[in-house]
Order: sequence, then structure tokens, then C-alpha cells
Amino acid sequence: MALSATADFVEERRRALEVYRQEPIPHWRRSGFWTTSLRKLRLDELEPRRYEPVGALDELPAVVAEAVGEPTELGALLVQRGASAVLSWVDPEVAEQGVVLTSLERAVEDHRELVERWYMRRLSEAEGKFPAATAAFWTGGAFLSVPPGVRVEKPIQIVYLIDEPGVAQYAHTLGIVGELAECRVREYDLAPDFEGQALHSGAFELYCRAGSHVRLAHFQDWGAGEVHDVSTKRVEIARDAFCAWTPIHLGGHLTKQTLDIVTAESGADMRHKGVYFTEGSEQLDLFTTDLKEQPHTTGDTVWKGALTGDSRASYEGLIQIVRGATESHTYLQTHSMLLSPKAKGDAIPSLIVETDNVSASHGGTVGELDDEQIFYMMTRGLTRQEAVRILVEGYFEEVVQALEDPALEDLVRRTIAGKLAAAEDQVVEFVAERG
Amino acid sequence: MSLEIQNLHVRVEDGDEILHGVDLRVAKGETHALMGPNGSGKSTLANTIMGNPSYEITAGKIVLDGNDVTEADPDERARAGVFMAFQYPATIPGVSVANFLRMAVNAGREEPIKVKEFGDTLRRNMEMLRIDPQFTKRYLNEGFSGGEKKRAEILQLAMLRPEIAVLDETDSGLDVDALRVVADGVNELSGPEMGTLIITHYTRILNYVRPDFVHIMLDGRIVREGGPELADQLEAEGYEGIRQEVASGA
Repeated sequence: MALSATADFVEERRRALEVYRQEPIPHWRRSGFWTTSLRKLRLDELEPRRYEPVGALDELPAVVAEAVGEPTELGALLVQRGASAVLSWVDPEVAEQGVVLTSLERAVEDHRELVERWYMRRLSEAEGKFPAATAAFWTGGAFLSVPPGVRVEKPIQIVYLIDEPGVAQYAHTLGIVGELAECRVREYDLAPDFEGQALHSGAFELYCRAGSHVRLAHFQDWGAGEVHDVSTKRVEIARDAFCAWTPIHLGGHLTKQTLDIVTAESGADMRHKGVYFTEGSEQLDLFTTDLKEQPHTTGDTVWKGALTGDSRASYEGLIQIVRGATESHTYLQTHSMLLSPKAKGDAIPSLIVETDNVSASHGGTVGELDDEQIFYMMTRGLTRQEAVRILVEGYFEEVVQALEDPALEDLVRRTIAGKLAAAEDQVVEFVAERG
Repeated sequence: MSLEIQNLHVRVEDGDEILHGVDLRVAKGETHALMGPNGSGKSTLANTIMGNPSYEITAGKIVLDGNDVTEADPDERARAGVFMAFQYPATIPGVSVANFLRMAVNAGREEPIKVKEFGDTLRRNMEMLRIDPQFTKRYLNEGFSGGEKKRAEILQLAMLRPEIAVLDETDSGLDVDALRVVADGVNELSGPEMGTLIITHYTRILNYVRPDFVHIMLDGRIVREGGPELADQLEAEGYEGIRQEVASGA
């Protein structure tokens, strides 16, 4: 395994490698029916694969251009294919403001001070085998720095692409948005349909400095191949800063992600709204934490999912308010909609409050489409198929609109519509038989 | 065009029989009032006319323009020209009033309606029902007051222009001003092109919409039929009076 050229990280990588060697392949088990197991992943058959740089998006598999759209609409773009950063571009006007988007490999050389200060501040190789693997083996990577006070209107786009079986992608994104800066960040995880296994072992850390205002979206569509995604993503929000983080999960053979949003200083505020749609035999296991570390922090979390086929999706959302974080206010809701008799879904909100004078409420539902809603729509002349489609799309709309990013909203609507169309006969049959 | 209900027996799924043999005929151009106290089976009849799967027809038929639609899906009935304004319409999150109306209008057409024609028709109908233009941007029935829900139902009626309209307790929960607006709307839409079945508990709406025929339903049966004077009798005697009359065989 090639290690980074920079001596500073050799020690960190060695330490991580130790953890990686000692830890067994994890197996997550919870009460009830739920287990997430990676035992079918043939890790030793996968390798980090290097690719040559490309000059334009059309030299990459079509899924990238289809998802990303017109590069001229972007403020910056970085694409990692397999183990290599293959495309990196910053709009000259944006670059002039001092914004950096480059591979983490490059940043270790060119922006050493920032990288040393922030790298792995909120992540640790000790969290498990895959966090250790990412810390030990990452290549390429993404580094984003938005200087204090800078406002970037156009989205800053990062893409992780896997386009062949046999690939292990150890991905690390580090982002710092400076004081009072404003920007919009998108990270897409994309793969075309292929046959065979691949791994995305990801680490994502974003630091929203005091008074900054950040809209962050993750969009995952790993296609129909056996892509295993084991990732940890963490966002830290400093004093009086705001971050709206919208993760969208629309495809992945097996996904196990830990998503944590930390309101770390007074006045920090966040919106965390997520979507998932699972199909076929996909399995999705999400654990999110809304961690409140200081007084006067606020938050609002809403997750909505739908399941077709014999897919399984589990969402567990924890609100944790630590000692001393008084006057914090936060909410968490999670909804899961079963569109197939064989799909299994979990929606588990939980709460750890270690201090007084806070408000925290949470709720979770696992449900099916409502017969009265379907009947109502059919009395207006809409077929059962149309009624189901409109209801499912409408169900997600609250979260989709929270993206406040028309191009991405279209992408999400399009992808959900396509997945729903693929499962339509099965869903309509399920709804009709139940009625 | 006519809607004919013949000897209709209906029960709730796996439950008791609610309608015990109802006969009713509503033709285009006629306005009927079906009146009855709570629990008499009025809403069951309305829902059965539209094909709500929660109700099971154990005997009898629903015939639309000579075609037996007893087994037809609700959307087929709708496309054949029957409409129901719901007493408690469902909330459709994420779907704006305007979008929903457009989809419903297009469901009954071969070619989608032109944007301008749709916009003009919608504006005209909203003016008629004194609905604020901002209303169409809201999600259908989400957070609507009782009166807004009823107006949204009548707005759909106005946009869809059915041949037979069943109004299930459209008057309940409305204050007098709102009732007048809704009743004016119904009067505007009624005429030779539409048959209307107004289902109501109270005689109040009949001060604004004059029916040609009145039917009184008690305990799942139509027990009295007549002209508008029957509503006046009901107003004077109440359901209890009618019930005693029926019991005494008068």
C-alpha cells in the first residue's frame, strides 16, 4: 500500500494500520431482527486502483455528468475515481477569493498548516476497522478551504466515483469553512451499474467556523453493483454558525454510515434532513447523532425513507445533550414507509440528556401508504399507480425542498421517480391487495 | 347520464350491515338532497357510490348511464363523470393544490390541458369561490381549516365539471358566510349539465340551494321521498317526528 509522501502522516497511518490489523471485520447487531454484516465482502480481492487524470467530465462514466450537470454552474469541482483524484478545477473568480478545493494529497504539501490543524480533529482511527482502514490507506482525498468572510454562491462539488468491480476506495474529505464565510458543498458518491464487489470506506469531516453559513448535501447512488459503503461523516458547527446538512441515500448494495452533527459552541444551529430509498436486496444502516456540546445550541432533524423489494433500512437517530449544554433545543423525527410486504424498516429515535433546562423531542414511525389518501386521489380520476407515485414523491418533498438547490432537487426527484417506476407493479399490487 | 342505485346493501369490511336496500336515481340536471341524522348511513352511501374499498356491497347494484359500475375502481367512476366532495378530505403532503388540480384535470382528458387554459379556469373558479390566489401553492389540505377544506373540495368540483356530483356534508362546519359562498358555487355549477346529490344532516344549506327532490334516510333505509316541502316538514318536526311517523306506519 502506497503511503502519502509526507512524513507527518506516516505515524498516523502506522497507528491506524495497527488498529486495522487488530480489529475483526465488524458485525453490527441490535435488538430485534437487525444485523448488518460484512461477512460476504471479499476484502482481500479488492484493491485501491489508480487512474490517470482526465480533462473533462465527458471522459468519465456518464453517471458523473448526469448527476453533476453543467460544470459552469459550479464554483469548484473535484473528482476522485477509485484511488486517484482525476479532475480538480476551481472557477477562477472563486479561486481569486482564496477558495481551495484540491486533493488531500496535494493539500498536505500546499496547505500543510491547515491540514495539520484540522485533519482528524473529530475523527479517530480507533473507532473501528473501517475508520482505521481509511486513516491508514486513504489516497487522493478532498480538501476544501473557504477563507473567512468569503461568500461562494455556486456549489462546491466533490465526487467519489467507483466504476469497476474489484475497487477499494479509501476516501477522506476534509473541509474548513472560515469565520463568517458562506458556501454550499455537495459530495456525490456515484457508480454505474456493474457486476461484482467494490468498497467505499469513507471519512468526511467538515468544520463550520464561527458565524459561517453552510449548506451541505451528500448524494449517494452506488448503482446496482455490490458496492459496500462503510463511512463516518462528521460536521462540527462553531459559535453562531449554521449548517443545513441533507444526506440523500438512493442506492447502495450495503451501506453502514455514522453521521454526526455536532453543535459545538453557543449559538450553533443546524438542520439535518435526510432521505433514503432502498430497492431490491439493498441494505442500509444509518446511525446519526445530534450532539449538543454547549449552551444555546439548536437543531432540527427529519429523516424520511421508503423501502421496496426485500430491502432493509434501519435509521437510528440519537439526540445527545451533554452536561452543561443548557438552553439547548432540538427535535428529531424519522419516518419510514414500507412499499413492499418483504421490505423491513426500522426508525429508532433515542435521547441522552445529561443536563437541565433543555428541550428535546423525538418521534419515529414505520408505516405504509394510507388507503384513505389513495382512495381520495382515485376519486379524482387518478389511477392507483399515479396515486402511489404522487403520494411517495409528495412524502419526500419536504426534505427535497430543504436542499434549496434546484439542480440537486431535480436530480433527487428524477432518481426517486425512476426507482419508483422500476418497482411500480410490485408496489401497486401490494397496495391493492392490502385494500 | 344518470346514477342509479338499486337495492343496495352495504356493510363495513368484516362488520355489520349499514345500508339495508337503498334505491335512488339522480339524473343530470336534477338536484337531490339526501338527509339523515348521524349514523343513518349517508356517508356510507356516498363512499360506496365512489367505490371506497373499506365498504363491501353484499347485494344490489350501482349503475351509471346504463353501465353496471358496482365493481369498478374509484378512478374509473371518476373518469365516467362522478365526483364526490368529501366530508373529511385526506391530506396530501408535498402536493400543491395547483399541481393536484392539474393532475386531476388531466386524468379525465386525452390531451393535457394547455397551461393558459388551466390557469384561466383556475383563476375564474377561485374568484367565484373567493379563494386567495396564494392558496394554490399550499399542500392540499395540509393545515387547512375546516372551511378551507370544503372550499378546496368545491374548487375541485368546479375544475373537474362532473356529470354527477355527490356532496357529502359539505355544509357541516361552515359559518354562514362560508356556507353562502359554497352554496353559490354549487348553484353556479348546477344546471342541465350536472346532477347533484347533496348529503346533509341539516336543512340549513337548503335555504341556499333549492333541491328538486328530498330523500330522508333513517337507519340505512330511505324512509321518505318528496319535493322541497319534505325538507320544510323535517325542519318543523325534526328526525324524531319523521321516525315516529314511519314507526306508526303513516
